[in-house]
Amino acid sequence: MKPDSPMTPPLSPTLLAGMALRPLPLAPLRPILALVMAAVVKRHPRMFDPLRDFGDPVFVIDPVDLPFVFVLRPAAQPVGLRAERTAEGIAATATIRGPLPVLLDLLEGRIDGDAMFFSRELTISGDTEAVLALRNSVDGAGVELVPELLSFLGPLAVPAGKAVDLAARVARRFDDDLQLLTDALTGPGLRRVEAQAARIRALEERIAKLEKRAKGKVSPT
Amino acid sequence: MNATPSSKAMELVCPAGTPAALRAAVDAGADAVYLGFRDATNARNFPGLNFSREDLKEGLAYAHGKGTKVFVAINTFPAAGEPGPWHGAVDDAAMLGADAVILADIGLIDYAARKHPDLRRHLSVQASASSIEAIAFYVREFGIRRAVLPRVLTVAEIAAINAAAPVETEVFAFGGLCVMAEGRCSLSSYVTGQSPNICGVCSPASHVRYEEDGDTMVSRLGGITINTFDRDEPAGYPTLCKGRFVANGETGYLFEEPTSLNTLQILPDLMKAGVTALKIEGRQRGRAYVAQVVSEFRKAVDAAARGQTVAAAVGLDAVTEGGRQTAGAYRKSWH
Repeated sequence: MKPDSPMTPPLSPTLLAGMALRPLPLAPLRPILALVMAAVVKRHPRMFDPLRDFGDPVFVIDPVDLPFVFVLRPAAQPVGLRAERTAEGIAATATIRGPLPVLLDLLEGRIDGDAMFFSRELTISGDTEAVLALRNSVDGAGVELVPELLSFLGPLAVPAGKAVDLAARVARRFDDDLQLLTDALTGPGLRRVEAQAARIRALEERIAKLEKRAKGKVSPT
Repeated sequence: MNATPSSKAMELVCPAGTPAALRAAVDAGADAVYLGFRDATNARNFPGLNFSREDLKEGLAYAHGKGTKVFVAINTFPAAGEPGPWHGAVDDAAMLGADAVILADIGLIDYAARKHPDLRRHLSVQASASSIEAIAFYVREFGIRRAVLPRVLTVAEIAAINAAAPVETEVFAFGGLCVMAEGRCSLSSYVTGQSPNICGVCSPASHVRYEEDGDTMVSRLGGITINTFDRDEPAGYPTLCKGRFVANGETGYLFEEPTSLNTLQILPDLMKAGVTALKIEGRQRGRAYVAQVVSEFRKAVDAAARGQTVAAAVGLDAVTEGGRQTAGAYRKSWH
């Protein structure tokens, strides 16, 4: 989504939504993010305590499928969360990069950070210790973003919750459709690449055998 | 207590790096949860991880309320002349009502035996007791009730120990693997000055850096390049033992490959070998890992106890290091 991003975003509803959002200004997002963070901190006041050992760390959280990055200052008072067009010029302690759904699942403890790292769906750079402290603190707090935010809506929480459920179902369906479309578009090409890879492997094995045979024929001096 | 279908079911001992992970383990069917304090007295001394005394108090209430035991790992080796934090950890675990302490240092085991004779003592894997004689010594001298066996033994060797050793045994069932020099490994301290044995942390994150270099990701530990992963190649932990190096003109894993232990398929064998408890590794992992692995093992352990076939859990592939699994030394083909 960002031209300089080292990670290619998957084709997803988030990516398409991000493309649609690109021309819009970020200013309206800022008060919303401040409210979200205030709600989360109110529910989990001790969550970011371990981050104070790092002074005032600045994390760039880069959803690769959106046209902006989040800048999190968990040890600041109040905790800072803002959106910026680019990470350029930000003195980041560390950067965490991945598709938005993965980052949200991580925030809510639905997936394991190490597993995402092993599978390369998540990349980190900068101060690894600070990233680990952030990951462990957030995971240990047991954040449940949607219910926690809904609880602040008072009597509107029930209809808002139903709307969120509906939106999630539609997004999942759309995601499945996009996956099908991706498979249809890339399937033939992938099959060709796999066939070529198998052929290269076979040729490499053949060359290795020939080299071994050739070495055996050379008598030692 | 979580219902098990038979008294022969092996006990499931599960990791908790945070209070949320503890609740996840208990809810997923753990028989016992093991955890550590937020300092160098335990072998997972990572930033943002572990329990304050207050956390432990709350965790004990939650676990005991659902019939799950809580073991406190105090399994590093006290610094010479500074046993205070380790003694304090044992005292607090006893005072707060932990069901057992998991200890490695012989002096600390002696302290716990003398000061808290009624507190159940388990011998940590870090003590590296892998023979009947070694285990019998700890039982005789310090009254240990359970030995966590090092990951160097075959199932047949475990059966032989269980036939002769007067103590329960616990073996690792799932998770990260070491180079099998439990309590003796110096690779981390060689590069970073910090080891799991004294500082409670292997390859500390403060010494780890990841760098994207074009299509590859480079992992460094203490300034040394540990590995280079191609685009989409599964990654592993940045430990020296799992580094990929060039030797004799060839690039490869010199010590061990990034792979996770998985014993699901040999649970009936471990049960027949007389194993009392299975340990799931991963206090450094998130609560999603804990919930998933504990849940899969709960089903498998119960199935094994009923004499049923244990099905492979496909979902566990996603949480393994390097995307690969092994039965490790349980089925070792080397000497």
